[in-house]
Amino acid sequence: MKSIRKVPTGGCHDCGGRCPYTLHVEEGRVKRMEPHSTLRACVRGYAARQEAYSQDRLQQPLKRVGARGKGEFTAIGWDEALDIVALEMKRVKDQYGSDATLLLESGGRPGAEGPRIAVLFGKFGGCLISWGGPSAEGYVWASRATYGSLVTGNSRDDLVNSRMIMMWGWNPVDTIFSTGTSYQVVMAKEAGARIIGIDPRFTSSLAVFADQWIPIRPGTDTAMLTSMAYVMIEENLHDMAFLNKYTVGFEEYRNYVMGEGDSVPKTPEWAERITGTPAQAIRSLAREYARTKPASLITGYSAGRTASGEQFHRAAATLACMTGNVGISGGSSGGFENVLGLATLLGGNTTVGSRVREAPGRLSLAGTLDSNLRNKTRVHWAKTWDAVLEGKAGGYPGDIKLLYVVGANPLNQCLDTNKGVEALRKLEFVVVHEQFMTPTAKFADIVLPVSQHWATDSLMRPWYAGDYYVYGNKAIDSLPGTKSDYEISCELAARLGITGFPEKSPEEWQRDLVRTEPEMRRDIQDFDKFKKAGIWNIRVERPAISLRKQIEDPDANPFPTPSGKIEIFSSKIAELNSPDIPSVPKYIKDEPNMPDQYPLRLISFHHRVRAHSCFDNVNWLRRLEPQRVWINKDDARRRAIKDGDLVQIFNERGVVRIPAKVTERIMPGVVAIGEGGWYRPDGQGVDEGGCVNVLIESRHSPGGAFVSNCNYVEVKGDL
Amino acid sequence: MQLGFFFDQTRCSGCEACVLACKQWHSEDEDAVDYITVIEQEKGSYPDVQVKWLFLPCFHCADPPCIKVCLAEAIAKRAEDGLVTVDRGKCLGKLECGALCQKACPYGAPRFREQPSAKMEKCDGCPDRLQQGKDPICVASCPLFALAFGPTTEREIRAGVTREVDGFQYRTRVGPSITFKPKR
Repeated sequence: MKSIRKVPTGGCHDCGGRCPYTLHVEEGRVKRMEPHSTLRACVRGYAARQEAYSQDRLQQPLKRVGARGKGEFTAIGWDEALDIVALEMKRVKDQYGSDATLLLESGGRPGAEGPRIAVLFGKFGGCLISWGGPSAEGYVWASRATYGSLVTGNSRDDLVNSRMIMMWGWNPVDTIFSTGTSYQVVMAKEAGARIIGIDPRFTSSLAVFADQWIPIRPGTDTAMLTSMAYVMIEENLHDMAFLNKYTVGFEEYRNYVMGEGDSVPKTPEWAERITGTPAQAIRSLAREYARTKPASLITGYSAGRTASGEQFHRAAATLACMTGNVGISGGSSGGFENVLGLATLLGGNTTVGSRVREAPGRLSLAGTLDSNLRNKTRVHWAKTWDAVLEGKAGGYPGDIKLLYVVGANPLNQCLDTNKGVEALRKLEFVVVHEQFMTPTAKFADIVLPVSQHWATDSLMRPWYAGDYYVYGNKAIDSLPGTKSDYEISCELAARLGITGFPEKSPEEWQRDLVRTEPEMRRDIQDFDKFKKAGIWNIRVERPAISLRKQIEDPDANPFPTPSGKIEIFSSKIAELNSPDIPSVPKYIKDEPNMPDQYPLRLISFHHRVRAHSCFDNVNWLRRLEPQRVWINKDDARRRAIKDGDLVQIFNERGVVRIPAKVTERIMPGVVAIGEGGWYRPDGQGVDEGGCVNVLIESRHSPGGAFVSNCNYVEVKGDL
Repeated sequence: MQLGFFFDQTRCSGCEACVLACKQWHSEDEDAVDYITVIEQEKGSYPDVQVKWLFLPCFHCADPPCIKVCLAEAIAKRAEDGLVTVDRGKCLGKLECGALCQKACPYGAPRFREQPSAKMEKCDGCPDRLQQGKDPICVASCPLFALAFGPTTEREIRAGVTREVDGFQYRTRVGPSITFKPKR
């Protein structure tokens, strides 16, 4: 009988969780995966082996031979490939300066085995980097302004103490929101919490948890929250004692809500016209929230990925204050956020320890709410292609000539894919580290085939509700012909004449990180024990309530804001003096460009069989649920579309052709496509892979949110 | 003794972690078949919609019809725990016998891959894991703890526990070993 080695490790991509599990390795090959007893992986985790051993894995460096984007390559040796990359890096820097290189590094391979390319670029004199993550930037901005902190959440085991939970665009079944979170919602439901879902889609989370579904038009959530505040004020249901004691600016907010400045009272009837949600449902929800204590308003990030997304998160926090639910067990600060005493996203979740050093002399951006300042120094993810096409003349911080892509698939995942094609063709040199021939890799001049995370020892942080860390023990050797991002960085360093990279071995580097990174240092007492077990459980008193101290003894524990209180009126925002960013939360209307031609609102959502664009090429997952556009039965009937029909979804930016999922689970007037389907244009440029970003305008909100949920399309049968 | 499943339909989110956890445990092949099917049932009309899911492995029936029709006596029921197992060495293959077991099973448990010579395969109840005192992989993988497995005597019908749910009929003569906490 063959011997089986059991390796405690984890995975896998930046999917919203970080699942610990044990691999069964036989003769150097992963055979099986055994889940952790309680922190159980999702469907993507169980398909990781199919991805790791896929026939499609790249095993030789590739050099472009045809026109860029044609996907025509010739295999070359590692030495030749790395020589070319190093030469181009030097050439571009010498010829144009360090601002001519843009590094796009994202969460495709989130574990860290050692310092990576970002650190190397720091030693190479810096480069341009991105700001404004496609994920939660609206929330981040709002939380900084309102609470002065990103650590405002209650630990998830506290959900069971809520009497009412509002899942506002929050879909933990599919997006995970830290491995094991959905089970805590089960516990809360079975303990008797009433659960209400506010979402344009009746998601799987709502199907399993919600007692009531309140559909809402995408991009209008702030209007509904504002009118809920109206109901509370009109009926005197708000917690004035809490507002007086802990907040500043409620009076200004009240004036806005009641229409004292603009003569528009923000009544539920006003909101109904905007949101499509019946006024009566809004009134009932407002009353119920105000009268049920404690209650948790849990917002996801999708409603913040809108034209004024930060206003949504500001308004949600304000309602949490108006109902006195902040800093108490069973309540929430308006979201499901970092928790004091647990691992937080602040430590650099996706690419642990690989923070880039930008070129010397850069402005410090830490904590600023000023997007203009950020845009002067960095490139917003949403504007990646605009920056390449327009450069300094367009107000961007560099004339980009070289694009360096690691753990990312920007052609697919940045906004306006067809603009991306144009931009990639304009560049002088594109290098991509990849495991697969992704839509972005197709546009590379050099593709460097990288190893998969089971082939290296790596440190992993969970998402922020996580009360544990994962040590990803090396389970297998790298696939022949592949190297890790770390190894590539080391070999490039030698070619670039950079000394002191790496400064230490991966193991020393990891030990140092655990010793010095503030949270890991606080939590992990024994590196060897951690490595051996593959998981380290954080010991902290439960439930953990981040803002309890500020609420129980506010004089001794002011909020880290200019006023020391929760800022419904933010003086930092007021200083920006911008009409797009009001200093109290407001609903700001976003007008569609061509409302008549494109009457359907399009949203993109996290698909359960993918982690962003990872796993789209795994057949086991595709067979579970192929890429489809969700469309309501009424909208489908009017267009003679039946379930499963191939349809075209289109607007002024492009055309996507995929089958339709005709369902009652989506609001009429709204269509939805899961993000991450691989862009696959036919001869006419029609995307058959279902890449939703083909249809999405490249813009960010005034606060920096990635605006992926404010677009309009039409759908027709593909004849 | 008869082992069987308990499925808490109120907890199932249709995530299909059980489907792939089972699949990777039993096969590495790209063309492997799922041993578990999760069916989505959408009911009602907007905005009063309800979605339920149904978990369909092999139910290791008390009197399995698949055994009766098999020409090769390739299917057997274990005396010690009632698990229904298939001897793929004996199985004639899909084309040879016309997949009689699949046709006989009211729940569609026997599966075949695409090629005509494919032998029957299905949920085996994970006897390797049971022997180690572990739950079957599907039970151990469910993120919402909606599944359990054990002697059916422990899963007798009691308040809130049924033998049937929408879309699943308990056939007395077959005796599928599963009980439900149904979602209303």
